[in-house]
Amino acid sequence: MINAFSLSSTIKHGVLILGALIVLVPFYMMVSYSFKSPGEIERNTGGFFGSQELMVDERCVKLQDPNKDEVIALRSRFPGLGDDGVRKAFMAEVERDCSMIPVVFNYSKAFSQAPLLRYLINGVIVTVSIFLIQIIVALPAAFALSKLRFLGRETVFNIVILGLLIPVHAIALPLYIMLAKVGLVNTYAALIVPWTISVFGIFLMRQFFMTVPDDLIDAARMDGMSEYAIVWRVMLPTAIPALLAFAIFSVVAHWNDYFWPRIVITGDRSLFTPPLGLREFKGDADGSFYGPMMATATIIVTPLIVAFLIAQKRFIEGITLTGMK
Amino acid sequence: MGSICLENIFKSFGETSVLHNVSLEINDGEFTALVGPSGCGKSTLLRLLAGLEDLDKGTVSIDGRDVSGVRASDRNLSMVFQSYALYPHLTVRENIAVPLRMRQLSPSQRLPLIGSMITPAATKKEIADQIYTAADMLDIGRLLDRKPGQLSGGQRQRVALGRALVRNPAAFLLDEPLSNLDAKLRVQTRAEIAQLHRQLKATFVYVTHDQIEAMTMADRIAVMMDGEILQYDTPENVYNRPASIHVAEFIGSPKINIFPARLINPDQSAKLQIGVRPECLKQKNGEYRLKAVISHLENLGPEIQVQFILPGIDTLFHTRVDPKSSNRLIMGSTTELGFDEVDCHLFDERGYSLSPHKTREFLKTLKQSTLENA
Amino acid sequence: MTKALNHQRQTRSAWIMLSPALILMMVILILPIMIAFGLSFTNYGLGVKSVDFVGLENYERIFTRSTFKKMFTATVLYVIIVVPFSVGLGLGAALLIQSVQRGREFYKTIYFLPVMASLLAMAIVWEFMLHPTIGVLNETLQGGCDSTVIHGLLTGSWYGADPLTSWYGDKCANGFPLWLGDRDYALWTICFIGIWQSFGFNMVLYLAGLTSVPKDLYHAAEMDGASSAWERFRLITWPMLGPTTVFVVTITVIRSFQVFDTVEAIFPDSGGPGKTAYVMMFAIYEKGIKQNLLGTGAAITVIFLMFVIAVTLIQRWFIDRKTHYA
Repeated sequence: MINAFSLSSTIKHGVLILGALIVLVPFYMMVSYSFKSPGEIERNTGGFFGSQELMVDERCVKLQDPNKDEVIALRSRFPGLGDDGVRKAFMAEVERDCSMIPVVFNYSKAFSQAPLLRYLINGVIVTVSIFLIQIIVALPAAFALSKLRFLGRETVFNIVILGLLIPVHAIALPLYIMLAKVGLVNTYAALIVPWTISVFGIFLMRQFFMTVPDDLIDAARMDGMSEYAIVWRVMLPTAIPALLAFAIFSVVAHWNDYFWPRIVITGDRSLFTPPLGLREFKGDADGSFYGPMMATATIIVTPLIVAFLIAQKRFIEGITLTGMK
Repeated sequence: MGSICLENIFKSFGETSVLHNVSLEINDGEFTALVGPSGCGKSTLLRLLAGLEDLDKGTVSIDGRDVSGVRASDRNLSMVFQSYALYPHLTVRENIAVPLRMRQLSPSQRLPLIGSMITPAATKKEIADQIYTAADMLDIGRLLDRKPGQLSGGQRQRVALGRALVRNPAAFLLDEPLSNLDAKLRVQTRAEIAQLHRQLKATFVYVTHDQIEAMTMADRIAVMMDGEILQYDTPENVYNRPASIHVAEFIGSPKINIFPARLINPDQSAKLQIGVRPECLKQKNGEYRLKAVISHLENLGPEIQVQFILPGIDTLFHTRVDPKSSNRLIMGSTTELGFDEVDCHLFDERGYSLSPHKTREFLKTLKQSTLENA
Repeated sequence: MTKALNHQRQTRSAWIMLSPALILMMVILILPIMIAFGLSFTNYGLGVKSVDFVGLENYERIFTRSTFKKMFTATVLYVIIVVPFSVGLGLGAALLIQSVQRGREFYKTIYFLPVMASLLAMAIVWEFMLHPTIGVLNETLQGGCDSTVIHGLLTGSWYGADPLTSWYGDKCANGFPLWLGDRDYALWTICFIGIWQSFGFNMVLYLAGLTSVPKDLYHAAEMDGASSAWERFRLITWPMLGPTTVFVVTITVIRSFQVFDTVEAIFPDSGGPGKTAYVMMFAIYEKGIKQNLLGTGAAITVIFLMFVIAVTLIQRWFIDRKTHYA
């Protein structure tokens, strides 16, 4: 009955492969465009990698177009030619210098046209800070809600559940106003602070902590550990799988977040997160800049994709865990 | 109506052979138990019969019809699963109705709302009647509107039975149906299933690892081990005339005593094994005597189970003694136990039962030298 | 004596541990909602000197002005289209993947990629692919027009129909749609991108749900006579996936209400040709932030919150009604 090439099996794989192609098409195009010259992009030629023929960076050329004084200064380099000739000869040189293969053009422009490196670093700073603070806030709270007995525990837990109801986009506007009033718009604080309270994180950790045997904690108490120490020395190590799942969830969400940074970073470019950087690139770009724009997109998208490909199982496990609330 | 014939069945999972040339002929209306230790292949055999697994070689026939290539839903068999496998989202009534609806209603009649409207009232009544009959037989009439999650283990088991019998299949297949029940409930349900069998007069194929269940319920027992059927016979014969040591040791509790022996005969000298059931060992009585050291006593109330050691042999042996008619037994003391020739089961070196005339011509000399014979 | 001491100790520690979380919750979650609620009745603007209480004027405007009608239309349409497809494709992919022997990890990985990639980045890529003239899609479609085989098949002219009556034929002759620039297609295209990005997530959740269905039920169904895949799906798979479906639908609905990235990236100034893609989040951004009409923005926020609460309540009701597991 296990016929490797049965009809139904073939049809199923056919459908799945068709779906996979549709899913992959934009990724393919994005990377492919990041390799191509403007001409190739427009005409959709060149296969996946583009033909990598030398192209001329127009802006680079224009920048070096000499004005009158500079032409005079260049006379010595091109003896025997009139001013026009000097200029042409110089421009020919410039064109040679400003020639490069498309992939180099695209990727170098991606980093030079806007401070992409800075944006990437911002992305890292923001996601890591958010995650760390989330953990610092959530773990003790989850511990208290799951393992400590005190009056009002049920009420607090119900408040937490209520908090899950509040979609983060709903509070964006008022939060923005609050931040504006305190003068914290356009700061790292604005990017990080609103996310420090992750009700979802508290909920997830609490559910996980419930499965830790009470005996473990009592033993720690008998060993003389304070409640606080227990959270970091006993609960944290046992919660690594859940933490990993939450980390994945948090990092992916905040690296890719566009809405909130868009609202809260209004003028200061140096604080742009990667999606903002890309968006700005698009805003500035004219037709010839699709290549670098795609290069930027590729650079923004790649870290998470690579991490995902390496740790697939963990990612999917994590999403499943966070999903089964 | 429900005779089953399995011929030369072979089945492997990957490299491991699970069933090796298994053949079985079950008569219509018979209650057959497949017994054996875990991993012997009994569940696999049942599932092969059901059609839930494919066999590698061999044939399965029901009422003379070869169904080896037929899928499970078309074999007209019913199965009661160890986990009961009741549909959690349906009520008891709906659970029992499923096999009827699948077979008696057309696909369009099975659609959620419209289907109900286009089904003729007569069919609906017929199905309802069948459900009531089944529920009545199993005394679950008052549970019909509950869901499986609201039932106890024993009740769920009956619903599973109800779902199986509502269709009047050619045969019933039961896969360890009692193993999830507690001991007391097991005893009660055992009797009920046996009664059900008498009532329905249908073929039952019952898989269990518990030899007591097999002995008490079955018309014939198939003892299985390592993918083979060792013996297929009535409980009496399996108990009193075991075909091999494996069968003898598996059936009967406490385990049969096996004494190593040697046949002394001018012409030959062969090793034997003598099997004597614990209840056949008598105190200070019997044609053959042994000196035994008592190592453990368990007073069960109606009887005392005694473990004893024969000096020189490692194995523990058992006997059961009536507390009233026994002489006082003290731990560590040496006593004399005996058995009669008629209670002996003889097995050859490899463990197979010896034919009756060989049994007659033996002289026994037991292996250890220190033991004296009467 | 120790009992009271223990209890005291735990209580004190508990409140200390909970205080950061509770304070942050108050400030970051609860307070803003109250502010939004309050502001929705004013005509507040950042830096504007005077603030007036305007009662229900903002809400009135939202429920009457045509711009906001388009906002409701766009948002509701988006949700109505994206949710069934995203959930359905997620379920379909999960079922297909579960039923094949080989390549499961491969397909799972690929279908999940869009979830991992920044929606903004991929929206821009899609926008480029959908460019009316130099975009890959229209170029490919146009290329098909020139090939007699494909043209024949897709327009029906192979079986004798007039090519111009089919969509493909008509477009070959008169030009393919502008997709994102086209009033008739813009919203559906945005929906498509939304579905593309989200169904992988639902697929993963459904896969998890599928593995928790007891295998024995399928055997029982087989014995009961349910011989086709459809029967088995109806009898076992779909009911057992009930809780998963409720969850998947709820989060997909809430996420769909929050759509923003695609619209702002592609239609930064207009919210779509003829405002056909003027979704709620975009409206909040445009009115509240860009135009500094914070009162209006707050009012839209409140309405959005009502939608979300309604959805969540419906979800709770569904869960309560359908608990049938011990």
